[in-house]
Amino acid sequence: MKISTRVASVTTLAALLLPLAACGGDSTGDAGEGSGPAAGGGGAEATACEPSNGEVNLTFFSWVPGIEGVVDIWNEQNPDVQVEVQTGPNGNSGTYQNFFNQLEAGNPPDLGQIEFDALPNFRVQDGLTDIAGCEGVMDAQDQFVEWTWTQVQLGEEDAVYAIPQDTGPMAMFYREDLFTEAGIEVPTTWEEYAAAAEQVRENDGYITNFSTSDINQFAGLVWQAGGSWFGTEGESWQVRLDSEESVQVADYWDGLVQEDLVSTLPPWTTEWDNAYNTGQAWTWISAVWGANSIMSGAPDTEGAWRVAPMPTWDGEVAAGNWGGSTTAVFNGTEHPHEAAQFALWLKTSEEAHTALIEAANLYPATTAGQQLPALAEGVPFYGDQPIYEVFTEAGATVPTEWTWGPTMTQVYNDVADGFSAAVSGDGGLADALTAAQDSTTTALEAQGIPVGE
Amino acid sequence: MSRPRRVQHPGAIAVFVGPFALLFALFYVLPIGYAVWQSTRTVQRVGTFGPAEEVFGGLTQYRAVLENEAFRDSIGRVLLFGAVQVPVMLGVALLLALLLDSPTARGAKFFRLAFFAPYAVPGVIAAIMWGFLYSPNLSPFRQVTQEVDLLGADLVLWSIANVVTWVYVGYNMLIIYSSLLAIPGEVYEAAVLDGASQWRIAWSVKIPLVMPAIILTGVFSIIGTLQLLAEPQVFRSFSTAVASDYTPNLLVYTTAAVPNQPLAAAFSVVLALATFVLSFTFLKLTQRRAFQ
Repeated sequence: MKISTRVASVTTLAALLLPLAACGGDSTGDAGEGSGPAAGGGGAEATACEPSNGEVNLTFFSWVPGIEGVVDIWNEQNPDVQVEVQTGPNGNSGTYQNFFNQLEAGNPPDLGQIEFDALPNFRVQDGLTDIAGCEGVMDAQDQFVEWTWTQVQLGEEDAVYAIPQDTGPMAMFYREDLFTEAGIEVPTTWEEYAAAAEQVRENDGYITNFSTSDINQFAGLVWQAGGSWFGTEGESWQVRLDSEESVQVADYWDGLVQEDLVSTLPPWTTEWDNAYNTGQAWTWISAVWGANSIMSGAPDTEGAWRVAPMPTWDGEVAAGNWGGSTTAVFNGTEHPHEAAQFALWLKTSEEAHTALIEAANLYPATTAGQQLPALAEGVPFYGDQPIYEVFTEAGATVPTEWTWGPTMTQVYNDVADGFSAAVSGDGGLADALTAAQDSTTTALEAQGIPVGE
Repeated sequence: MSRPRRVQHPGAIAVFVGPFALLFALFYVLPIGYAVWQSTRTVQRVGTFGPAEEVFGGLTQYRAVLENEAFRDSIGRVLLFGAVQVPVMLGVALLLALLLDSPTARGAKFFRLAFFAPYAVPGVIAAIMWGFLYSPNLSPFRQVTQEVDLLGADLVLWSIANVVTWVYVGYNMLIIYSSLLAIPGEVYEAAVLDGASQWRIAWSVKIPLVMPAIILTGVFSIIGTLQLLAEPQVFRSFSTAVASDYTPNLLVYTTAAVPNQPLAAAFSVVLALATFVLSFTFLKLTQRRAFQ
């Protein structure tokens, strides 16, 4: 009795120490073997992805409302691969920080929801498993909207670091009633949009609210203009926050802000909701999920909104993208095969898509998913307009060149700080981008990330 | 006190001190030590997505801290905040305490509770409430807030100062007030016999005697000022003028989210040292007069 207890405790001790040894190996960068199937660094070779024996239990962290119900469908069909859902706040509200801490501690969930813009950050922190070698992953490529697949490959041709979940193609929500009443034409180019802004101001409204603190929207606008804030070339990163396209978009909005043609309320606040609910703001350049934000934030305006394609630069049709997430398999999972199969099912199967649309109004990243009947119907809040058609068309015109950087949280904060200063009268939006260009380069170098010219 | 004492019950001492020592070591010494250790690390990697390698970086992070303009600005901002807000708050607290303690005061019990009540409101809730009161379009005092932008870059620091004062004035009042209650009655008797008026008693007897309490609240307030976090954090959702590096603690928080733990740790260590130096200087400067 005594001996067996001792044996047990020795085994436990060994079990406790082994992962520690593996951790130590990882941090020196030369050992991928120690931590199982995870790819070490360069990701040059896809990892072996073998099915595990026996029953497998996976943990999956997500902040999609109602995700438990969707996962229940999988659990019923796959008694051998049971997925436990963990939920929490959305990524930038604390979940990413938890992920980073869990990775540091060597104890992440098997799968987690990560937005497109945060993927490079997790890749740089060595938090993702390359699942390209897992059954069915590479074959799934054709099912996804083109740009989403580029995003999950992170610049490597034979690697896949996550499965796209939902996307946020952008369009223009506008108050059809107010435009008609005032006799203003709905703008189709940015030039017309600026002209309309003046007319709207004469009618005591603002054409829209420029968000100084949610930089994701601005990124979407630069994305539409064909710019990209980051890039990789060879062994180093390029930072292009002050690129030509980026400055062009900044100067355009700077003009509207300076002339008091757009309001600058902090987004996602009661004050901001109020502006939309009371008809002070006439349009919102937003993503597909914005349809829900208007419904909940401006309930008094039911029936008055419509959706049109985003205004374009010189008539060249393109849309930006704002938001969207992926499901990634974390570095350190013991079951990459099962995790990848679950992620694929969640993102490609019709039953999962339909359940996700019903539960959370997620806009699928697959072309088939975007054709589902649930998305073809007219939406009563928008005067029965089948608004998702607009977004499907927009999604197909989102440029594929956009690359997110490895420290987006910092970029958002720095650009937001600069934009806020600019609307308070301290410099212009383009100055903020120049300042953020410098601070981002510093932040990258502080993390040992090589930055090229 | 100079009599040497023999240790009589080492076991009992261990039992009494043990729990404290353990918790102190686990949740105070160890985290601080870990932060200091982290602040000496630096990350190296090769290639765009190369694996990170943490190595000893000496004072690299501290150089980054000193070169960080945002950090200097945020320190300057809270110092300005403290230089104005702390004297105002303690002045009001002292005044309220003296009023409560005055022999002519009526309803002292009620007012003591009323002054203290805001402290029972959690800081975050207080900040949200004031945020709405300041808001240009949603405030019940729209006539004022639409004319004066209380959330703009020029005034928002003082709008926050007002929230902090509102919350903490009662708390400081209570510390000073209890110190006033501890003054023995014969001191007042003597003052009255000498022909002192209530004004004179307040100025020449009460205030000097409660000086230690005022200094104590002063130290607490200085520490609190340097560590401002909750109020500015909440105000970020009301005002575009509060940046992610508005106060030193916000900057630490922002840096940790990058995630750049070594730099965030270095910020924290420098901030802790600055707080220590400032409180200590304040004590040194005031102590001689107060505790004579």
